[in-house]
Amino acid sequence: MIDININGNIVSAKAGEMLIVVADRENISVPRFCYHKKLSVVSSCRICLVDVEGAIKPQPACSTPVVHGMKVQTQNVKTKNSQKSVMEFLLINHPLDCPICDQGGECELQDVAVKYGSDISSFSEGKRVVTDSDIGVLIQTDMTRCIHCTRCVRFGVEIAGIMEMGGTGRGENLKIEPFLEQGIQSELSGNMIDICPVGALTSKPFKYELRSWQMNSIPSIARHDLVGSNLLVQPYKGKVKRVVSADNDLVNEIWISDRDRFSYESLTHKNRLLKPQIKVQGRWNQVSWEVALDYAVKGLNSHILNHQKADQLGGLVSNTATMEEFYLFKKILTEVGCDNIDYRLNVKNLDNTIILDSNIKLDALEKIDYALIIGTNIRLEQPMINHRLRKATKKGADVDVLNVMVFDFNYSLHTENIIAPNKIAFILAGVLKSIMINNGQELPDYLIAINVDEMAKNIAYKVLNSDSSVIILGEHIINNVDASTIANLVTKIAQSTNSRTLNLSITANAIAANLVGCVPQNSGMNVNTMLASDMRGFILLDIYPQYNFHHLGAAIKAFEKDDTFVISLNSFKDDIVVGYSDVILPIASIYETSGTHLNINNDMQSYIAAVKAPNEVKPAWKVLKVMADLLELPGFNYEDSTQVLTEISYQSHVSHTHDINGNLASYHNGISVIWQNSPYSIDAVLRHSRTLQKTKIGQMNNAYMNQTSAKALKVSVGDKYLGVFVVITDAVADNCVFINTNQTINIQGQA
Amino acid sequence: MNEVCFKNLTKDQCWSLKVYEDSGGYSAWRKILKGELTPEQIIDELKLSGLRGRGGAGFPTGLKWSFMPRHSNGQKYVVCNSDEGEPGTCKDRDILRFNPHAVIEGMAIGGFVMNASVGYNYIRGEFMEPFKRFEGALEEAYKVGLLGQNINNSSINFDLYTHLGAGAYICGEETALLESIEGKKGQPRFKPPFPANVGLFGKPTTINNTESFASVPEILRCGGQWFADIGVENSGGCKLFSVSGHVTNPANFEVPMGISFKDLLDMAGGMRDGTKLKAVIPGGSSTPVLTAETVMNMTMDYDGIEKAGSMLGAGSVIIMNESTCMVEVLTRLAHFYYDESCGQCTPCREGTGWLYRVLKRIIDGNGRQGDVDLLLSIQNKIMGNTICALGDAAATPVESFLRNFRKEFEYYIKYRKSMVKG
Amino acid sequence: MISIKARNQIDVWIAKYPKDRQSSAVMQALKIVQAENENILSASTIQEVADYLDMSGIAVQEVATFYENYNYKKVGKYVIRFCHNISCMLNGADDLIKHIENKLGVKTGEVTLDGLISVKKVECLGACVGAPMFQINEEYFENLTVDKIDKIVDNLK
Repeated sequence: MIDININGNIVSAKAGEMLIVVADRENISVPRFCYHKKLSVVSSCRICLVDVEGAIKPQPACSTPVVHGMKVQTQNVKTKNSQKSVMEFLLINHPLDCPICDQGGECELQDVAVKYGSDISSFSEGKRVVTDSDIGVLIQTDMTRCIHCTRCVRFGVEIAGIMEMGGTGRGENLKIEPFLEQGIQSELSGNMIDICPVGALTSKPFKYELRSWQMNSIPSIARHDLVGSNLLVQPYKGKVKRVVSADNDLVNEIWISDRDRFSYESLTHKNRLLKPQIKVQGRWNQVSWEVALDYAVKGLNSHILNHQKADQLGGLVSNTATMEEFYLFKKILTEVGCDNIDYRLNVKNLDNTIILDSNIKLDALEKIDYALIIGTNIRLEQPMINHRLRKATKKGADVDVLNVMVFDFNYSLHTENIIAPNKIAFILAGVLKSIMINNGQELPDYLIAINVDEMAKNIAYKVLNSDSSVIILGEHIINNVDASTIANLVTKIAQSTNSRTLNLSITANAIAANLVGCVPQNSGMNVNTMLASDMRGFILLDIYPQYNFHHLGAAIKAFEKDDTFVISLNSFKDDIVVGYSDVILPIASIYETSGTHLNINNDMQSYIAAVKAPNEVKPAWKVLKVMADLLELPGFNYEDSTQVLTEISYQSHVSHTHDINGNLASYHNGISVIWQNSPYSIDAVLRHSRTLQKTKIGQMNNAYMNQTSAKALKVSVGDKYLGVFVVITDAVADNCVFINTNQTINIQGQA
Repeated sequence: MNEVCFKNLTKDQCWSLKVYEDSGGYSAWRKILKGELTPEQIIDELKLSGLRGRGGAGFPTGLKWSFMPRHSNGQKYVVCNSDEGEPGTCKDRDILRFNPHAVIEGMAIGGFVMNASVGYNYIRGEFMEPFKRFEGALEEAYKVGLLGQNINNSSINFDLYTHLGAGAYICGEETALLESIEGKKGQPRFKPPFPANVGLFGKPTTINNTESFASVPEILRCGGQWFADIGVENSGGCKLFSVSGHVTNPANFEVPMGISFKDLLDMAGGMRDGTKLKAVIPGGSSTPVLTAETVMNMTMDYDGIEKAGSMLGAGSVIIMNESTCMVEVLTRLAHFYYDESCGQCTPCREGTGWLYRVLKRIIDGNGRQGDVDLLLSIQNKIMGNTICALGDAAATPVESFLRNFRKEFEYYIKYRKSMVKG
Repeated sequence: MISIKARNQIDVWIAKYPKDRQSSAVMQALKIVQAENENILSASTIQEVADYLDMSGIAVQEVATFYENYNYKKVGKYVIRFCHNISCMLNGADDLIKHIENKLGVKTGEVTLDGLISVKKVECLGACVGAPMFQINEEYFENLTVDKIDKIVDNLK
């Protein structure tokens, strides 16, 4: 540590750190536009010039390394003169449109201008006007306001990993823009809005909505993936108007995905369910909560509980619920004597499930030196986790991929192995065998006959020779014929090599669902057993079958049965739900309820409601509590959701009991279909987010296969397969159709 | 005169390897290849010679070369700055055309001293004739085994390539030049880190001007003291001066440092048509303009020109006679910097355009009272506040023109016409 | 599509730079591709160069718009780049530019009707002791006079 003198005060600092970092730590204000703590330093805006003793010229605080004994003045005349000069230059071509600028009130230029600017400008020439191009549906540009700080350009290169904005031309014609009309397509693009210090890049859905100071900022947690990014939800008069990122270095740093930023739009979607409704003699009536809940409870009693048939009641919940909701849902079922509960709706065969720990934290991910990624388009499916991995690659980590299709990574891969779904277990068995031989371990029977090919050898070599590696298993493996084997192989490989594992085969709040116990215990039925059984009733929490179930046909059939009483808790209207339900209860959506999200770090992140749910809509936890009261169940005396949370003692409800079976070497024939909801259609909130749906990612709707598969399936380009447009490409492995779609699961296709 | 870079100027095919070798060319390089010269010896000779960077900054070359972390592992580079483009400057073009082998030998020696096995010569995109000459010379040098891998079994490697620019004055700034070689816009990098530590492709790099490199072989052949003795104290050797403007015979002259301005003017045949000298820009457009009175007793060396109130720069002497309208000249120069600003940092991007627009307004007869002070205030706000020297280069002429010829500007504003031309 | 010939030319430049530093060849690649496309760069040629050098389109666009020597508007078969900076100006460049404009019937920045010649005012070309001067395509012409210009321009076909 060294001592430097800032404004006459001695402060200690690390030799070589930049002056602005020291000043920030000491709360000494130094203005900045181009400098941003998460981006590289370019030192181009010059507003942070300060007087350093001994230097003739003022020095930029952002790029001046401190040395022992350095004397700095951040407030003297020399500093002020430089900063005022720069400010004047920045303002001469900046439009005087603050009154109609969406950045007004949160504009870094405005803030500094108030401090350093002059009321009167000596500039009387014509101001520069820059023509705007449409860069997409999420970001509004007004480049006449641009001050060329290049934060957005650097964000693209350094964080998003895709250079989308650039500075074209030179001199005062320097223009920040994307290439032609391609627009901005990054899944992290909205962060450019947050880091733009002026009103050049603003939120398009928020355009002209409000002034920033009219809104509150309520901390919240994103619920669409395993990260639980920290957010600020900004409501006005009870409506969420905007969502921006909040800092949390251990979770999302300062970035959030576009998915988390723009999904709030769904809250005002016209399809919101606003009133409880009940179906009486085949006709739907909108009723009061009292009537609806009474109807629901009476229905449960008359169909099931009065007959002591609680074992014919099923509880199904989507992974989107809060931890408290999972708990209450489970508690109600337990109290009425029902063990039939599940959240794993999209799993084809629950005897073949992925059981895999996640034992690496987000900030540790960027410090790994090797990653093996299996079965995920990680960049779009878990953007913030991918961002951490990208950082690791920038520090030199190698990444190998085992996928069924070539995906667009925003970092270079060590190897990208595209293999048929039915060969993944093979390869991993080869990897394990190679590792065990290397370690001198005795081979289990199931590995003896395994052939170790080059691919397996190379991967084994990399896992063995890295100091901190992680193996990541993704969603595309969920319904792999070898899913449980693959997960177990991953566990064993990790154990033999001291690797960490990351289970990305689940998402949203599934970790909470799992730990709270929303999976069947004892003699309880799992989802697929329930769907195949003669059930007398279901309670369904936030379920839209056509997007949720693998066995969609069976699900609808089970719910539709005449004598099956179905209570649905949903936020959005849905024809299929209407088709089979007896009671539909409108529940609060994101930001309208308090709750807790459990992320991949095992952080329990609780949030409060940022807005009140509209009309008669109630938070699901309250609905469940009142239902319990009406059912006269004990122990539901909660006044708020935090009381629920304190009661939860969670433990893992799954155990590693599977053994790897000896069938590994058997070759599975046939073409596997991997059905992957597109990133912006994985939950109801996203599907109702107007603007996200208009993006390129939102529009994904293709069934990818190679020529051989297409021939075997007798489809060609222009056809639809399972209701999705066929794309024939070499990028897909043999014997595989990879479907990435925003459409509903095709009932016929899945049958 | 013409003792170093221009030694062979008058000879037939002076750019050929034969002419170069006949006059002692590559003897220093061959000594190095035989192991008869050490990097330390070379640096000592260069220090003794008093050679200072000929691109304009005037930093002592020997000292610069000694800064390179030559013992560090990994690739290192030497880069030659032949991106000549400062108005008034046209000497490197002639070195490349008429003595390309001296540049090659100088760069090879630099590579050896700094343990850099690869060099790039950045030639401005418009210089196609010099580019072809230089490429031809490279071919000759490779053919006779003076460049390449394990040259003459010396275990010394040196590969030399040209990189062609595409039209941007700012690439003459050494870090912008590096960016340009890397295939990017020529935007100067902020320093630190300096190129000696983080340069081309992130590796330690030394960048010198064409004339500096071309002077090195002769210094090593004839000795540092010999070179130093040609010049004067603080300004060793001789220097190429490009004398242009209102003189009878504009040309490049390689003359001893310290020669008097009068003698240099005489060499150029004196003032054209017997006109009267009005002003001189002694070192290229970014150096302060001097009045006729101040230059008459000036000597042409770093200290002499500084004493007169300007800088030696690249030795680009622009002579202006009494018919010159200083408002017009400054407007033209302001346009140049406005046009060539890279746009990266605020004071230069915004300030150069402002300066030009005010001057253009004056020239168009729309000057306002207070414009002279406005110009002074704008240049003052640019000066010292930018990443690279282009900001100061744009501000300096404004300050010096207004200081020396303020009346002409005030006249133009008041009467909406030139005081000189009417 | 970038022609095989152009690819070969670009490859010569790529070979000058370290492995994975092929983007260093972008300036020459643009020049080569421009020469093959009537001396104009279009969005699609920029994208092709980007693809060939494994760069993003916008990164190439940045370069293509930063440097002077690329064209986006039609230019003549012969491009006269007339220096109008200080030394040339002191030696009468402005009058000579007017002369050439009158002679060709075009303003600077324009192309003659037959598409043969375009004239452009440019900044210092580094031949100040030969002022006034201009460049036609690759070649420099110095110490220009009205007569000399007439002869040079009349010989352009």
